[in-house]
Amino acid sequence: MSDRPPPLSIRNLRFRYDATGAATPWVVDVAALDLNPGEQMLLTGGSGRGKSTLLNLIAGLMEPNEGQVLIAGQPVHSLRGAARDRFRGRTIGMIFQTFNLLHGFSAAENVMAALMFTDLPPREHRPRAEALLRHLGIDRPDADADRLSVGQQQRVAVARAVACEPALVLADEPTASLDPDNARAAIDLIQRICREKNAALLCVSHDPAMAQRFERTASFDQLGRNA
Amino acid sequence: MALTDMTIIRRSMTARLFSTLTTILTVAVAVALMLVLLTMRDAGEKAFERGSGNMHILVSRDSSPMVSVLNGVFYANAPARPIAWREYEKLAAELPLEFAIPIQLGDSYRGLPVLATTPEFFSQFKPDPQVGWSLAQGRYFEKELEIVVGAAAARSSGLAIGDTIFVTHGVPRAAALGGEQPAAAEPHVHKEFPFKVVGILNPTGSAHDRALFMNLDSSWIMHAFDRMLVEDPRAPVPTVADLDERDRLITGIYLRVLTRPGQDASAALPQVYSMLRSDPSITAASPTDQIRQLFTIVSNIDQLFVAMAAVVMVSSGIAIMLALYNSMEQRRRQIAVLRVLGCSQGRIFGLVVTESAILGMLGAAAGVLAAFAGSTLVAGIMKQRLGLVIEPALPLELTLLVILATIALAAAAGIVPAAMAYRTPVVRNLRPIG
Repeated sequence: MSDRPPPLSIRNLRFRYDATGAATPWVVDVAALDLNPGEQMLLTGGSGRGKSTLLNLIAGLMEPNEGQVLIAGQPVHSLRGAARDRFRGRTIGMIFQTFNLLHGFSAAENVMAALMFTDLPPREHRPRAEALLRHLGIDRPDADADRLSVGQQQRVAVARAVACEPALVLADEPTASLDPDNARAAIDLIQRICREKNAALLCVSHDPAMAQRFERTASFDQLGRNA
Repeated sequence: MALTDMTIIRRSMTARLFSTLTTILTVAVAVALMLVLLTMRDAGEKAFERGSGNMHILVSRDSSPMVSVLNGVFYANAPARPIAWREYEKLAAELPLEFAIPIQLGDSYRGLPVLATTPEFFSQFKPDPQVGWSLAQGRYFEKELEIVVGAAAARSSGLAIGDTIFVTHGVPRAAALGGEQPAAAEPHVHKEFPFKVVGILNPTGSAHDRALFMNLDSSWIMHAFDRMLVEDPRAPVPTVADLDERDRLITGIYLRVLTRPGQDASAALPQVYSMLRSDPSITAASPTDQIRQLFTIVSNIDQLFVAMAAVVMVSSGIAIMLALYNSMEQRRRQIAVLRVLGCSQGRIFGLVVTESAILGMLGAAAGVLAAFAGSTLVAGIMKQRLGLVIEPALPLELTLLVILATIALAAAAGIVPAAMAYRTPVVRNLRPIG
């Protein structure tokens, strides 16, 4: 075992939308969840069950009602404002179903956007972004991201997620917008690059067929301590 | 090149190019309007002050001191009622004067006023208190049928040394500032009197620059001939010897009271004034007082103009706010993505305020260019219509002040959309559309 703190450690995390209404059921109710460096885990479950909410809580984009999320040993929700944003930018990579690329920016600029908020010297931004894109099969890093094929856009989104060399990558339905071939290629790519970067991967999907690709899988509902 | 905040701002502006350009244009118009008004007010006052130069009093038979100054210094119209030469001589002899320069207006050349005077006009009168006349080319007039051309008149007419011209009796009523009728209702060309251009003057920045100058005898001979023709249609062209009292008329006198060397004020001035005012048939005007009075009247109006320009500036700020506010709807996803990537709310706020300030800065820059073009245009019109020579240069301090005020206003206008951007909910705007 290494001394490095785990990329993700969740304890007694609870969230519901109406914090005052005691009768509202918990949307997220996770007793404990840990990921080791480089570990890859799939969370499955139907749409609207709260998988995305869990990822947003982990990323510090939402506030839990109870519990704690530690990313690389740092309790995310104890950080406030700009400090939390900065921490997220340096430690967590996110991949979305609809890629969420920046419109009007090139592929390289989309990747460099993830480096803007890190300590990496600006002169190293472009070389790193271009190298990463080429590594992922994008040979025209200056092409407008909007003009790339869906598969290529997905790669740009993956490159952006891992550009800051994060401890943890959160993938929210990364293949839901893709046809089966592209979906397979995309998940291969995400798993490969996370392995190469030794980043832990937490992927959520409603597609049970993805389960065979992950060494560790769980149903979102099983995470709940009342399940 | 790394991606920077400036790249994001630039992309945001070019992504909505039409909106960006129209916003910049709105700001530019407001800035130009403000600058032109402020510059013209200063330059106009200076130009007005220049024309009367080192003269203390202007004597004429115009109906009021204001009309007298507008006619006698700014060539608004040819005064209708003349002063006899004998009266001039008496006045010049009785008063303690440094100079008493007779002038006569009434003729023109291609719409440019012709002033008949004595050589002292060039040797003693200074159109600018600090600077006297100087010649760009040639010499001053020495005898009849010689004419000296003001700098602006030479430029607009294309006249050169050695050219022969014929002057027109009467002044076209292009600028009826004085409200009086020209000396002759029907202008006619004095074809019998060819004038030779002997000198071109350097610019003085006063209304005199657009005039032509001849000696009094030349003018008197022409008008004597008109008089003689009425009596005898076959009358020969007269000479100085043929002139009589009826011909020796002037329309104004530039007076300067005796002063100590190096001083402009004179203790004798009030006394000379009261002496002149005791004669109800003449009007004694202090050009400085009249110009000041004119500006008191005008400044009320131009304060209103400046206030209107300020309102236009504020509305251009509102235009910036609206443009950015409307763009926020399209930019919510971009903002949410930047936040996920580690951008703080404060930095998002800064991006929008900076974009707003840049819109203001570009608008101000375009406005300065437009103001320069506008000032040149207005200066041209003022010169043509009013005979005012205005330097269209924008004063540096004023220009910088307006630019800084515009940028500050624009940045302030960005606060509302920036606050919207600051409060953009991240999670909601990351969801798949539909």
